[in-house]
Amino acid sequence: MSRKGVKKMRLSGSRIAALAVLIIFAFFFFYPIYWILITSFKLPKDCFTLSFIPYLQFVPTLNNWTGQFQESGREIIKCLQNSLIVGLGAAALATALGVFGGYALARFRYRRWSNRDIIIYFLSLRMLPPIAVAIPFYILMAKLGLIDTQLAIILAHAAFFLPYSVLVMRDSFRQLPPELEEAALVDGCSIWQILTKVALPLTAPSLAAVFILIFTFSWNEFLFAFILSSENATTFPVFIAGSLHAAGVYYWVLSVRQLLAIGPPVVIGILLQKWIVSGLTLGAVRGAR
Amino acid sequence: MVYERSKARYVLLAPAILYAVALTIFPLLYALYLSVTNYSFGKPTIRIVGLDNYLRIFQDYRVYNSLKVTFLITAVAVPIELALGLILAVLVGLFPRLQGVFRTLLLIPLFSTPVAVALMGPNIFYEEGGPINGILISLGLPKVYWLSDPNVAIWTVILLDIWQWTPFVFLISLAGLQGIPVELYEAATIDGASGYQMFRKITLPQMTPILLTIFFFRLVDCLRIYDIPFVMLGGGPGISTETFTIYVYKLAFRGFIFGYSSALSIFFLALILVITNVLIRRLSYYYV
Repeated sequence: MSRKGVKKMRLSGSRIAALAVLIIFAFFFFYPIYWILITSFKLPKDCFTLSFIPYLQFVPTLNNWTGQFQESGREIIKCLQNSLIVGLGAAALATALGVFGGYALARFRYRRWSNRDIIIYFLSLRMLPPIAVAIPFYILMAKLGLIDTQLAIILAHAAFFLPYSVLVMRDSFRQLPPELEEAALVDGCSIWQILTKVALPLTAPSLAAVFILIFTFSWNEFLFAFILSSENATTFPVFIAGSLHAAGVYYWVLSVRQLLAIGPPVVIGILLQKWIVSGLTLGAVRGAR
Repeated sequence: MVYERSKARYVLLAPAILYAVALTIFPLLYALYLSVTNYSFGKPTIRIVGLDNYLRIFQDYRVYNSLKVTFLITAVAVPIELALGLILAVLVGLFPRLQGVFRTLLLIPLFSTPVAVALMGPNIFYEEGGPINGILISLGLPKVYWLSDPNVAIWTVILLDIWQWTPFVFLISLAGLQGIPVELYEAATIDGASGYQMFRKITLPQMTPILLTIFFFRLVDCLRIYDIPFVMLGGGPGISTETFTIYVYKLAFRGFIFGYSSALSIFFLALILVITNVLIRRLSYYYV
């Protein structure tokens, strides 16, 4: 056998090994999700058996889904609504602040505090342990009478995800060729006009991605939402966290709620794939677009 | 830089900075003040107690326990996530057709609501015959007490953290790998380098900044771990999965002891500052 042939065979052997590893891990990452998915279509009696294939091993049912909405539909809708409002509010606030701050950091040079210092400031905010802010934040909100309002959670989440919007927006503004804005400046546009008429339309996709991703982060956030709400402003994760004690081992109930929580962020994440690499690293790493 | 000097630069940047000062820095200063008081709900007078709260930290066995739990989870989970995520990214790189599928699949854990993941725990790790123990039993292997054995529960938390966050490392690494110039590998192939040599001499050095970035984000996020051990186990059994954040939470929001819990959170903040200070300076270069 020629040398080339040997090398080719070894190569395909290692490719098969690589493929095997990938399949094993695909299984590792998908197995829990699949199990929860089928649990939500199982009758209670099937939830404690090792059955995987609907129709073959168990009779699938929609009872859990319809039952959930009949039993606690109002509560579920209210909490989903709260999550939606909080997420949209926090995303709008953080994105608005991030657009201006990000544009300033991308296009201006600061002297007393250098641009790098300001970036370190925002990175440091990302690093703070939330519990350190949570206690004083709770007391301040209590003094302002804002406990159990959506506004309190919106304010907290916007502060939380501000570093993200500033740094990612800065990165997307920097990727624009400056010539266009310079031309507009020569034509006598004000900085405000340049930002809103030239730069912002060009980064509209990034802007939308930042907004939607902050929405998912806010949707998934638990600690602040938990501390700041008691009844009226309860977000969906806080609601389902409480159901572990109430529902105990009613896996068929829990699985429906888990899927309702996971659904929106996961769907958004999958749709926005190409934006999340830069998003999750605050613009430090750019995804292939 | 388009505009060198203009007053507009302050107007544009001020809202973001001030918002962060008002809602983050100011509360932290307030926590600093609370940490030297005996403030708790139900106490009529707030008294300054000086450094008493800070001295108390060192006599509190639950502080030691929660630090041990937090650092054990971080020290085990983060390196595994980094290694596994990078390896999977390199392997997926060998199969361009699988990339889309794999990326989509791994996005599911990453974007799953942590509380929902925590609630999956009792079902997935059902000890008398769930999807994991059931298979172990049918294979004639001993059951694992994933959630009820204090010595095992922390490893279950680590496993869930790896499940949720390896995809993060994977996605970022995959983007990073695609940024490495193909010419480097072509040149190495001509020189007769093996796959391992190419990984060692090209991939790893080229990936260092990205891996450092990933490490930073995983480190700060893992040290604050709260949702999964809290919702799934309440920090238990006993206090075996009580992370630092969970302990401080319990003190502040169940015991309403705001003075001491503020001291603890300032202490934790200082600890994290020390750990991440070096990293953050290094990281800031990637932005400029």
